[in-house]
Amino acid sequence: MQAFLKIVGISARQQMTYRTALVAGLFTNLFFGILRASLLIALYQGETSVNGMDVGGAITYVALSQAMIAYLTIFGNTEMGRTVSDGSIASDLIKPVHFILLWLGRDLGRSLVNFVVRGLFFIGLFSLFYSLYYPLEIGRWFLFFVSLIFSWLLNFFWRMLVNLGAFWSPDIQGFARLAFGFSQLFSGFVLPLRLLPDWFSRLSNWTPFPGMMNHPMEVYLGIYSPSQLLGAFGHQLIWLFILVFLCLALFRLGIRRLVIQGG
Amino acid sequence: MDTIVQVRHLTKEFRVLHRRSGKWGAWNDFFHPQYRTIRAVDGISFDIQPGELIGYIGPNGAGKSTTIKMLTGLLVPTGGEILVKGMIPWKDRRKYVANIGVVFGQRRTLWWDLPVIDSLEVLKAIYRIPDPLFKHNLGMFRKILDLDSFLESPVRSLSLGQRMRAELCAAFLHNPALLFLDEPTIGLDVVAKERIREFIRHLHREGTTILLTTHDLTDVERLCERVMVLDWGKILYDGNLQELTSRFEGVNEMRVSFAENGEDGLLEGLEPPVREGRYYVYRIDPRKVSIPDLVSSLYRTHPVVDLEIRKPKLEDTIRKIYENKSLNTPD
Repeated sequence: MQAFLKIVGISARQQMTYRTALVAGLFTNLFFGILRASLLIALYQGETSVNGMDVGGAITYVALSQAMIAYLTIFGNTEMGRTVSDGSIASDLIKPVHFILLWLGRDLGRSLVNFVVRGLFFIGLFSLFYSLYYPLEIGRWFLFFVSLIFSWLLNFFWRMLVNLGAFWSPDIQGFARLAFGFSQLFSGFVLPLRLLPDWFSRLSNWTPFPGMMNHPMEVYLGIYSPSQLLGAFGHQLIWLFILVFLCLALFRLGIRRLVIQGG
Repeated sequence: MDTIVQVRHLTKEFRVLHRRSGKWGAWNDFFHPQYRTIRAVDGISFDIQPGELIGYIGPNGAGKSTTIKMLTGLLVPTGGEILVKGMIPWKDRRKYVANIGVVFGQRRTLWWDLPVIDSLEVLKAIYRIPDPLFKHNLGMFRKILDLDSFLESPVRSLSLGQRMRAELCAAFLHNPALLFLDEPTIGLDVVAKERIREFIRHLHREGTTILLTTHDLTDVERLCERVMVLDWGKILYDGNLQELTSRFEGVNEMRVSFAENGEDGLLEGLEPPVREGRYYVYRIDPRKVSIPDLVSSLYRTHPVVDLEIRKPKLEDTIRKIYENKSLNTPD
């Protein structure tokens, strides 16, 4: 546990050294956030509410999902997959820590920095342009943060699963782009699932993806009924178990096929 | 003492795509890939006793790194067995690697953007190194490896030599009984190399078992008593370093210059010499002729001005082994 915390700590410190990148990322998020919000306002065409979400809620949804891009690494990455193809995975495998736990620590450290710099700072800046909803009950904040932790874990294991493909293919870029495209769409990042056709959001509920973005956002907005709330957490938890299991199984299989090229 | 490393009939095969050339080569490769099996390590066996310092040498592509990767639990062997301290490296990998130290000369394990000392602190937690041991080891390594000047600098700002010293320190903080060094002196200057050798010597004196892979035969000559020579995935020689030279090239060179030159320089029991300027160069097989006896009788019977015995260079010997082997092995 102490080792895990140290890894989280050093990863956070490493992330802090990239100050310029952090600030640049923050402003990119802000630019596209404003763009997305303007588009949504245009789509509402003066309607007060669409499928239980009003304009203010939709704007808050955009703000929060934009703020969570870096924290959740919603666009995905192939960092771990690259260590398989270039052999630098060797340095991780000679450490007496479970490989997936090592990456969990690394990702968590980075995400915590991103949560503050590209999350909280983002909300601060974005609220200068649009007025956002803030829940008044402590309970809802609590549920939101729990849901946000689950969504972080789901994102992590989903990314890990895609990257584990590197044990089978020397180049996973194309495959990863497709996979992360799917997860962005079905998670409700591109548009809130509530604003998409019913058949689509029903379909998405059969995937782990709504738990990665849509659930925490709607928990925050308080749109869910108590039973829907329970369903959302259950959905996140079940998929977390499935993804963790798949990652562990694929890692065990993949590691036996490992070929480390060069020196 | 108990054997620390036991390797039996170890084999590793890789399946590689055989790329076809020509206009339709890439097209054919895509639809009908042809694979070819390469045997990188071909049934090798050896034992390592505690405290040994072994040089593991061989040309590029001989299978050295593949062996090391199997010994460190990174790769799963295709056949054969490895038992290190009662563990099977790839099966018990996580438990196993806590007991070994590994340095890959061409890879880095330290965090790139942070000071060296931060990385060491993380390793302390990962390996659960107790405080006193950490302090003791770090203090010692700071001296031997001269780390003080860059312990607080980010890893990316270090020179290659500094980085390698930091890597060695990192690999050894947890006092592993067994150390694998894969080309630790690659690309370093003479001074940096010597410092790293000093460190290896120190660990050896402390009783650490070390397997050293290198292309720099000076490393081997200065450090190792035992060498293993590998080529084409097979061990060509495993034994004492001195014996290696006498076994593969028993011939020494004796260069003599006499007060009166002009004779043919023929000596009883030796082949006729070759003239090189003032010198007569004789080839002597020390297994047949006693060199001390020969030299003292020579001084008694001839007006010797200068005499020099040259032993074959390790490099030449090794090259001979490689060349002979590759001539005998069909590709």
